[in-house]
Amino acid sequence: MPTIIIFQDDLESLLTTDRGADRGITTAQLEEWLMLVKGELKGNNPETGELRIELQDSNRPDLWCCEGIARQIRIKQQGRLKPYSFFAEKLKSPHHLIVKPDMEQVRPYVAACTAKGYRVTEKGLAQLIQTQEKLADIFGRKRKTVSIGIYQLQNIIFPVTYELVKPDDVRFTPLGMETTMTLSEILMVHPKGLEYGPILAGNSLLPILRDAKDQPLSFPPIINSREIGEVRVGDEEFFVEVTGTDLSMVILSLNIFAANLADRGATIDPVEIHYPTDTMPGRLIKTPQDFGKPKTIQIKAIEQALGQGLSEAVVKQALESYGYSVSAEKGSVAVKLPPYRHDLMHTMDVVEDVAISRGYAEFTPVMPTQFTVGGLSVIEQMSDRSRELMVGLGFQEIISNILGSPDHYARRMRLEGTEWGRMVEVDNVMSLSFSCLRQWMLPSLLRIEAASSRAFYPHRLFEAGDVAIPDGTHELGSRTETVLGALIAHATTHFSEIHSCLDVLFYYLSKEYSLEPVQHSSFLEGRAGRVLVSGKPIGVIGEVHPEVLERWQIAMPVVALDVNLSQLATLGKGVSSSS
Amino acid sequence: MDISAVIDSLHPLEIKVLTTLGARPPGTALDSEQLAAAAELDPSQLSMAVEWLLAKSLIAVQTETVTPIVSLTKIGEEYYQTASPLERVLAAAREAIGTGKRLTIPDLQGQGGLDPSDVSKAVGRLKKEGAVLIIQGGCIETTGRPSPTVEILRTLLQQIHESWKELKSFTETHRQVIEDFAVKRGNAKEPFRVDERVTRSFILSTDGGGAAEQLLKQGVAEEVSQLTPDLLKDGSWRQKRFRKYTISLRPPRIGTGKKHPYREFLDTVKAKLVSMGFQEMRGVLVETEFWDMDALFMPQFHPARDIHDVYFVKKPSHATVADEPFLSRVAKVHENGAETGSTGWGYSFDIHRAKRLVLRSQGTAVSARTLAASPDIPGKYFSIARCFRYDQVDATHATDFFQVEGIVLGEDINFRMLLGLLNLFAREVAQAKEVKFLPAYFPFTEPSVELHVRHPRLGWMELGGAGLFRPEVTLPLGVTVPVIAWGLGLDRMAMVALGVHDIRELFTDNLELIRTARGLF
Repeated sequence: MPTIIIFQDDLESLLTTDRGADRGITTAQLEEWLMLVKGELKGNNPETGELRIELQDSNRPDLWCCEGIARQIRIKQQGRLKPYSFFAEKLKSPHHLIVKPDMEQVRPYVAACTAKGYRVTEKGLAQLIQTQEKLADIFGRKRKTVSIGIYQLQNIIFPVTYELVKPDDVRFTPLGMETTMTLSEILMVHPKGLEYGPILAGNSLLPILRDAKDQPLSFPPIINSREIGEVRVGDEEFFVEVTGTDLSMVILSLNIFAANLADRGATIDPVEIHYPTDTMPGRLIKTPQDFGKPKTIQIKAIEQALGQGLSEAVVKQALESYGYSVSAEKGSVAVKLPPYRHDLMHTMDVVEDVAISRGYAEFTPVMPTQFTVGGLSVIEQMSDRSRELMVGLGFQEIISNILGSPDHYARRMRLEGTEWGRMVEVDNVMSLSFSCLRQWMLPSLLRIEAASSRAFYPHRLFEAGDVAIPDGTHELGSRTETVLGALIAHATTHFSEIHSCLDVLFYYLSKEYSLEPVQHSSFLEGRAGRVLVSGKPIGVIGEVHPEVLERWQIAMPVVALDVNLSQLATLGKGVSSSS
Repeated sequence: MDISAVIDSLHPLEIKVLTTLGARPPGTALDSEQLAAAAELDPSQLSMAVEWLLAKSLIAVQTETVTPIVSLTKIGEEYYQTASPLERVLAAAREAIGTGKRLTIPDLQGQGGLDPSDVSKAVGRLKKEGAVLIIQGGCIETTGRPSPTVEILRTLLQQIHESWKELKSFTETHRQVIEDFAVKRGNAKEPFRVDERVTRSFILSTDGGGAAEQLLKQGVAEEVSQLTPDLLKDGSWRQKRFRKYTISLRPPRIGTGKKHPYREFLDTVKAKLVSMGFQEMRGVLVETEFWDMDALFMPQFHPARDIHDVYFVKKPSHATVADEPFLSRVAKVHENGAETGSTGWGYSFDIHRAKRLVLRSQGTAVSARTLAASPDIPGKYFSIARCFRYDQVDATHATDFFQVEGIVLGEDINFRMLLGLLNLFAREVAQAKEVKFLPAYFPFTEPSVELHVRHPRLGWMELGGAGLFRPEVTLPLGVTVPVIAWGLGLDRMAMVALGVHDIRELFTDNLELIRTARGLF
């Protein structure tokens, strides 16, 4: 999902272990390690050391940063995660954050911690900001469920309060501005206010974080104060807070941030959050917090899913070297995720981590054994047979987009406002060129014809493919059916030339048909017919109306047929063989 | 010169000319007209044959006669249609006498079509012949004497209008008039043109004589260019010679009936899958979010379900029927995992949202419907489904594309068998012997794998993705055995096979490109 930019030397220094620094990682080594994090190296600039990495797993936000990638590799190298001390339950929190009542109506949850002793470098700061943005943007759905703020700790007088205020009662200088503004001014003028303001729409009171001296820290989830909420290269003490609408996501995001700063050498101190009412973990909670719960998993379930015998010890070793804490018992393991993860929904999630930790290459492929009979659907057989016949009749097959424009499918066909011109239309149109589904095949064929006046004649084109036919009686509002369309274009073509093709086609498909005159705006009157099988209309044939040709800017006579193969397959007794 | 080689290369027209000359006493010269008549050829055919034979030095020019011929110019044709200025001036003068009017030169110039120079030239000539007089005041009167020139002009215009004539076929007097009224340098406005026509007479050269002799000896064997049913019917082909062709020339182009190379490529994949025991499934272009995403355990808040990632249908916006019992079961699994052993996503599932209609965004929707429709166990299924992606169109992104996807169900399915299946795909579909399996992420599978293969021509490439369906997907749809879900990404292989570098060209409107693509795989 997210693609992040990290720097090779930053990654290398984060990988530094007791055994010493890991310098000059090769691309091959890096790609090998990236398998542990479902990462793909998308770009590599040897001059700047910049690496572009795409992380696939949308349930592992802890991996969307240099620290997280390094951590997963480091654990593998060291065999287990070195526990983070700040999750210890007994640890005293020096700081407090008070949540005032009624927050649940706007943005109920907050979590916070402090970090000291990491002197932030330029690259470190870029990573902090990138992590903050990726978490808030993707995991936090554009700050709706989660947003993050970082501040200079030394300017804050505790306790901090999280409360609601009237939009015009508080003013401060937001990041990116020179003067103080009220919250309503920020929403109306500041670029972030305009971008994220809709999250708070409809609230007469707005959230604010203030310290004990009433200095605003930030207006979440919009913008930080410039005085307290601007972090610069060289800063060493930080206050980090996460606000949001889902408490477990808020705590997880803070846990990730705390682990990242700890990995860079900071000492993390928890902050005690005082809620006015009970939350899921309680009224008074200390963050960061390890909220994972142990889960017992049968070894047999893992073995069955992977198709390989594994001992408790092997499973324990695999999961520990992937960051889990594990206690093995006879025939089962009790596992718990590290506190920066919250993605264990099912035993199968653990199964995959066992496989990734051991490496997919450790598993010998086994050929599938089940015997099954292959085959094609009736429609596909009908379509394939028709295609063979059309090729035999000298037609060139084409393929077209199904998603197209009303201009092609209705206006140029003279079908606007007619029964034949109804189509499935897109609601969230990006471009009119791709805003509705074709309802028959002829426009697709004419698109090619219109672009091919320089290709030598005659032109004989066909396509067999899906169309969507609006149908109010169908539960989906439309039917998907397979249609065969064909056209002939040359100076002297006429109805009977295409009629002969239809005749041959139906002869070899063993279907009896008849034609009855039809009034269809796309065709010349008196030279168009409905194709009937067992009395049911399943197609049209005729000379294309000159005005249609003009609208497509085609300067050559065209005759065409359009037959619904899905309906044909269900109709018409086979013509009895003469033998 | 090799006479027989020369003869083999002769065109039937050349043979006619050669044999016509050769049938006459040696040294006989025939001019073009005589030759055309004797050889029964059109003048144009004769002229072609003569030029070819001259170029091959099989005939030579004996005499070259220059004959002046007279024809009408455009002006001459006009005079023939109306009358010559001379005649019109004389007629006007006679009419003036009859009505007693006075006729001046400016009066004549006022008459339609006569310009001043025509008038003065005509008056001068008539006066010289004594047919008119100029009296005081510049008036023109007729004398009553005829004008021989007017008569002669009328006759000549009539005769030459029928066809051109040799100048010498006219009398001395007529020739004089023609000369007076012929186009000359500095005087283009005249009715007659005198051209020189060159008449040549031809004799056989020595080689030509040899060739003619041999041709006449072959005599009876008339050369034909085409074997016809008549020649076969009466056996007369035995008396004919068939002209030899120059077969090194490029043939004319013809239009062929042919499958589209991309479809042909997909056909081979389809055939491979059927041969491996896969049964085809078909789905719908317009699908509910339920089958497209909810049934695949993608939470309703998943980023890929955003308004910027999926095409929503305008009208109707929702399906009319809820797919029960599946909808209720899936809703519970999303909320709390229900009986699947999962925690679920822990949010409140929106039943109405599940009925929202979208353009199918992934082929896996077809697999989901198959799972819910009591599939065979063991069973293998595939579909080649058109899907729609809400994306800016560029060289690597198309709005419509084919997804080749499927499932394998069975009691004994596991991760290693999944890898075995991918090995089989690598070998059968990409002819690859080397494969790499990378951990991957799909919302509906766990574990998930990405298959990379070393293609014999393309090198390392991603061929597809696969995994074991999460129990959160299979159990609510009524399937209790493990299920492999797989998908193949074939666009890159298809693009190379078709020789295009832009994914949009797979659906190109360039007929010439479609016709000429060989589509070798």
